[in-house]
Amino acid sequence: MATTRLLIAALGGEGGGVLTNWLVAAAAAQGLKAQATSVPGVAQRTGATTYYLEIADEADSATHPVFALMPVAGDVDVVVASELLEAVRMAERGFVVPDRTFLVSSTHRVLTMHERIARGDGARDADSLMQTAERASRDRFLTDFAAIARKSGAALNSVLLGAIAGRKLTPIPAEALRDAIEAGGIAVARNLTGFDAGFTAASCLERSPDAPGETPAASKTPVSTALEERVRALPGEAREIARIGVARLVDYQGPAYAALYLDRLAPFADEGPLCREVARHLAVRMSFEDIIRVAQLKTRASRLESVRREIGISEDEPFELVDFFKPGIPELADMLPPRLGRALNSWAERKGIRETAHFGMKVKTNTILGFGRIWLLAKLKPWRPRSLRFAEEQAAIDAWLKLVAEARAVSPEFALQTADLARLVKGYGDTYRRGQETYARVVEDMVRPVIARKDTVEDPAAQLKGAIAGILAAPA
Amino acid sequence: MERSFETEIELLRLGAGETFRGEGILAITKALLQSGVSYVGGYQGAPVSHLLDVLVSARDLMGEMGIHVESCANEASAAAMLAASINYPVRGAVTWKSIVGTNVASDALSNLASTGVTGGALIVIGEDFGEGASVIQERTYAYAMKSAMLLVDPRPNLGAMVDMVEHAFALSEASHMPAMMQLRIRACHVQGEFTARDNVKPAHGTNAKFREPADFFYPRLAHPPVIYAQEVNKVSERIPAARAYIREHGLNDRIAGGKPSRLGLVIQGGLYNTVMRQLGEMGLSDENGTPDIDILCLNVTYPLVPEELIAFARDKDRVLVVEEGNPAYMEQQMLRMTVDAGLATRIDGKNYLPEAGEYTGEVLAAGLGRYFLENGGNILDLDAIRRRMERMEKVRAAAGALLEAPLPPRQPTFCTGCPERPVFGAIKLAERTVGKVHVSADIGCHAFGTFAPFNQGNSILGYGLSLASMAAVTPMQERRSLAIMGDGGFWHNGMQTGVASNLYNKGDGVLIIMNNGYTSATGQQVIPSSKHSEIFGTGAKIATTLEAMGVKWLRTVRTYSVETMVATLKEAFTTTQKGLKVIIADGECMLARQRRERSEKAQALKEGRRVEQAKFGVDAEVCTGDHSCIRLSGCPSLGVADNPDPLRKDPIAEVKQDCVACGLCGEMAHAAVLCPSFYRAARIHNAGWFERTLHRIRTRVIGAMAGAA
Repeated sequence: MATTRLLIAALGGEGGGVLTNWLVAAAAAQGLKAQATSVPGVAQRTGATTYYLEIADEADSATHPVFALMPVAGDVDVVVASELLEAVRMAERGFVVPDRTFLVSSTHRVLTMHERIARGDGARDADSLMQTAERASRDRFLTDFAAIARKSGAALNSVLLGAIAGRKLTPIPAEALRDAIEAGGIAVARNLTGFDAGFTAASCLERSPDAPGETPAASKTPVSTALEERVRALPGEAREIARIGVARLVDYQGPAYAALYLDRLAPFADEGPLCREVARHLAVRMSFEDIIRVAQLKTRASRLESVRREIGISEDEPFELVDFFKPGIPELADMLPPRLGRALNSWAERKGIRETAHFGMKVKTNTILGFGRIWLLAKLKPWRPRSLRFAEEQAAIDAWLKLVAEARAVSPEFALQTADLARLVKGYGDTYRRGQETYARVVEDMVRPVIARKDTVEDPAAQLKGAIAGILAAPA
Repeated sequence: MERSFETEIELLRLGAGETFRGEGILAITKALLQSGVSYVGGYQGAPVSHLLDVLVSARDLMGEMGIHVESCANEASAAAMLAASINYPVRGAVTWKSIVGTNVASDALSNLASTGVTGGALIVIGEDFGEGASVIQERTYAYAMKSAMLLVDPRPNLGAMVDMVEHAFALSEASHMPAMMQLRIRACHVQGEFTARDNVKPAHGTNAKFREPADFFYPRLAHPPVIYAQEVNKVSERIPAARAYIREHGLNDRIAGGKPSRLGLVIQGGLYNTVMRQLGEMGLSDENGTPDIDILCLNVTYPLVPEELIAFARDKDRVLVVEEGNPAYMEQQMLRMTVDAGLATRIDGKNYLPEAGEYTGEVLAAGLGRYFLENGGNILDLDAIRRRMERMEKVRAAAGALLEAPLPPRQPTFCTGCPERPVFGAIKLAERTVGKVHVSADIGCHAFGTFAPFNQGNSILGYGLSLASMAAVTPMQERRSLAIMGDGGFWHNGMQTGVASNLYNKGDGVLIIMNNGYTSATGQQVIPSSKHSEIFGTGAKIATTLEAMGVKWLRTVRTYSVETMVATLKEAFTTTQKGLKVIIADGECMLARQRRERSEKAQALKEGRRVEQAKFGVDAEVCTGDHSCIRLSGCPSLGVADNPDPLRKDPIAEVKQDCVACGLCGEMAHAAVLCPSFYRAARIHNAGWFERTLHRIRTRVIGAMAGAA
């Protein structure tokens, strides 16, 4: 190919323009004819944006080639994408084709707004994006360039330039590309580090192995042998989850509460997959997030450790930490004995202030007094079983378990989906209450009629699964 | 401005024979200086903001040259500025984004075009058409035709563009018509090179002033009765003079085809590269642009030169007019010319090419391919064309079948830390109690509020027109309506068209003015109320302006104070007080603020002073993965991460490292009573001994308590 046609797909603010300028400047320094253009516009504000370059080799540079200003489907030699979905978008537009295009793309995801606002997991399946990117391209270099950039402390664009150089994707020699960074004169040392990291990755790796994910640390709370024995009696599929559940509930309320968990699980022990899913959701439901729980989580040593990690400091460096709480009347009522709590709620309802009266608190958790306030709340743990919220949650849990048990009569799959309904109830305050309403509606409309055999739905499990997915996908 | 332009300014100083390497729009800027302009102005808008930004930043150079630079309040004032060229032999250039800017300027333009000019007057038009365009898709060509203005559409390479700027001035002077030069987005941003000429100091300018004003001369006024003569003069004198200049100086390129084909292409200069590439791919041209068939490339698309076109068409069976956009003005004119000339040549155009939309490579390949296959006879290599078309079809089909469902879009959005974003969250919250309201949106960054997760806005009618466009909506709604306007829009147009008109008509309704201090969407140009500007600005205050105009209900609320904003909105929607209610939503553009603070912070760090570096975080164990925070805030820095809890599957929220600690997460968690998972953590650089000691004590005590938890 005499002239290399190269398309860069980036997100606004990622330095795609700078990457383009490096390439153009390097070509000019080599006496190679090149042209670049773009449509940044308002896409600068984190939207998707593209840059298009045509770079002539030495022979062509001696003539007067007419360069095009826009990429054409099927005619692009190299596509460089700073993010996986954008790489696939380039393929969707026909710019990455299996008989021509070399694809350089980072495999990390920056989720789009539409993917992020779902109530559940709205992200496009990364594996299938990866397969599409592979299938669509002639040859490829796909790796997590963002991770390389992070590790080397450089910006993504310099790493990508290094990768372009390492794979010799343009007529411009690698040294010239490196020199362009120096000639650019901005953050030279950092960008050269990034370039070298990208270059090295390109030179020695076909495709980087997936970074080993951190295995979630199970709670360190010791579980008594008696409880452990009961966990071991559960079906194999459910054991791991149940063990985590038991540990969590011992930490949450105590061994007796964890024993209650196992009691509640026992009726489902004859069916592995269902037992596992009930074990999962039941543990989450039984460790509901009331004020005491939040206080407990916020005052752990491990929590302070993760805050330090987040801002990159060691234990002896001073820092400031502010937590935001805004309990309202329902949260206060939650902590009172049921009769008193209900009375408070209905009084507030009559006054019309149940949803509006709140106590906003910004607590400086790095100070002794601030930490102490939350720490004291966490100490209310023994009081919890006497609270209104506890009573209500237990009743709701029992009702849900009863429903799952009844759903088994319809089909094992239907029971599984009924158990999965627990996902609809999450969050705090308003969000939590709206979740409860949605849950109640689905139970009345889609679960009870099926159990009562009033509805003759073809595949009730699939229907329920679809409904749950739909609710979680819809931004409320 | 968003960036500094030191390197660009150096390029503007290049002398004869030196090589200019840079962006298209900057080459145009250099060409203005080479053409001896006396004054420049304009109104910002992609893709021509850069032109004005650079000139404004180059005030030293402008001072040396004696060139007056004006950052106009809107396109109407920019167009009116060209009036200097009516009476005086001075060249002037202004710039804006079209079609919207031309619409705003049209009153002044009509009058300017009626009287005609003495000195060359050039409007550099950023033709915001096609991919990446942010405005309505209409052609500027209509203005050239109806007002008799020149329209230059140069081949998109730097040398041609620069030459055409210089010609445009001369052409304007020869014909007394104002000239427009349209540059498509990609041409503005194209990186290339040309050989510079020396800058030319204008004979008249700020360094060489006129002793006396021009003589009173009635025919130079756009006023009856001379307007009737001017109308005739346009067609009897000016257009013929323009045609003569175009012909004599060979402004349009006639490119002879290498094969004796009886087909020809008439193309707009701006489409030259895209057309040539497709001819090349079909085997109808070599890489250097020598085609098999005749091409007439029009660098001036209005007025057309009948002699040129007739001469081109005379010996041909068919001529295809490649003309982007709707309506097909050039094609219609050509049809008339060939009929008048009695030619049998068939004129094609929109019968082979799409009537509307951008002429991309794919579109041209399909249209040209069909044209050549049907009419190419046995002279052209039809097999090569057929192969090309088949491949394009194959690529298109394969791309279409690649995915089961289309990918989610990735639209531009409010920046991390943007002070306008919280307002849209507040509107969402206020609507929970007040109910849905009609939202009249406007042009500016705040138009991103129409995208997810806010999806707010019932209409967008133009820059600064939000309030005016709900004049007839409000009286017919049970609930009050809401207009959203930027401070840029307020000064551009909204003050008169919106506020004055509303007050005059005793209107009701709510207006939010986003007071961020700049026209931010176009790259942070200063406006009359900007606080941080060394060059322009008057320190005008929007609040006092509104009070003086007679606004009675006026509140200023910091945008990050979400709870206050929600309460203020509720009050505005429900108060019994009649009349316009204005909320000034105060919060400086975060990009500008960050740039200022970054250098201040770097300086403080260097001097060893105490610096706090804050960011927000999410407690992974407390977050339940509901994402209502993202739906209310929409911050780009607020992402989702895999749930570390093995018992939960839904991903949790996470705050990315680019968080600027604007505080919205905390405010939103409060205002919406979201959840307690957010925290704000600040790292302290250069802490003093007292703070360090205190920290050690705190760590010990808190550590002991945490251990006991």
